[in-house]
Amino acid sequence: MKTGSTRSLAFSTSAAAALLVCACGTTNPPEELVQAQETYARVSKGIAQQYKPDEVHEAKEALDNAQQSFDKDGPSPETRDLAYAAGLKAQQAEAEAATIIAANQKETNEKKAQTQTIDSLKHDVAVEKSKREQAEKKAEQAAADLARIAAVKQESRGMVITLSGAVLFTSGQSALLPGAMAKLNEVGDALVKSSPESKIVVEGHTDSQGRASDNQELSLARAQSVRDYLVSRGIAADRISAQGLGSTRPVATNKTPEGRADNRRVEIVVQPSPGGS
Amino acid sequence: MEKTNTLAAAIALAFGLAACGGYAVPTDRMIASEAAARSAREVGAANAPQAALHLKLAQEEIAQAKSLMNDGNNKRADYVLIRAKADAELALALAKQADAEAAAKKAADQLNAAGNQ
Repeated sequence: MKTGSTRSLAFSTSAAAALLVCACGTTNPPEELVQAQETYARVSKGIAQQYKPDEVHEAKEALDNAQQSFDKDGPSPETRDLAYAAGLKAQQAEAEAATIIAANQKETNEKKAQTQTIDSLKHDVAVEKSKREQAEKKAEQAAADLARIAAVKQESRGMVITLSGAVLFTSGQSALLPGAMAKLNEVGDALVKSSPESKIVVEGHTDSQGRASDNQELSLARAQSVRDYLVSRGIAADRISAQGLGSTRPVATNKTPEGRADNRRVEIVVQPSPGGS
Repeated sequence: MEKTNTLAAAIALAFGLAACGGYAVPTDRMIASEAAARSAREVGAANAPQAALHLKLAQEEIAQAKSLMNDGNNKRADYVLIRAKADAELALALAKQADAEAAAKKAADQLNAAGNQ
């Protein structure tokens, strides 16, 4: 016959046995808690610790809560929920750190690209400047060469090279003299160097003696001779034209032999190039 | 003796009520979870595979929590919402990460292209 104290003893023994089972740790932690611990261990040693330490700390607190829940209630649904959320919290810290790193990389690359663009523009400007300086130097040299062999002046219609008719032609003729060719060679070479793209007009001029129509015809024939010769020296035919102006544009009086000699001339007009140089 | 029994019954009833229906409705956590899920959607979580996965989980968990709340199981609902909020916040972080990494790649490609010109 069992007394009340016997029943009480039996109950106490069962309860103690049940507690012992729990205390001995026969209950394994749930998968969520194991995974959360692994995730946290990885994250706490990675980039997140450097870029998002506060988030890593929060993940640690969440993991501790899950652990406490497991210690208290075992692998209950609530323990699993807390552990699952703790693992995700650690992953969140990792993702936010990776976002910061990517944003930094973007900024660095954009700055590099900007610097590269500026350097490239500076280089282009320097190359352009150097080319322009070389072209200007070449043009100056050619102009100096021309100035040595003919009268050169700068007018609004362009650079005007004046060659005396007496040097180029026999009186009343349009065929070039041998000495004229040597002079025109130098003029042609200088024109090729100094103004490789400018349009050129060769103008023939006479004095006022004789019939105007004859003078017109002779001035055109002479201009044509000079133009053809310059084409033969390498100036593109489509860049150079001939024009006969007769006695319509004297540069000196036609009343004196010296004035008339000055008026008998060929002017080579180098028009400004479309680029403005 | 009768008075003692009545008091004990009243205490037992009070404990019982607390155990069954005393857990507060997890309104705040529901609002926070839904807000996080909305933010994740707005930054394009649906377009980044990992973010999309966690967004989907968050949405399912929010729905599950609502169902639990309708059944009066506020405590389970609250814990399910802890999962939902964590999933939604991770989806948001992953979506931002995907965006930032795509932008960084674009800048790197542009730099390389400029360097090759």
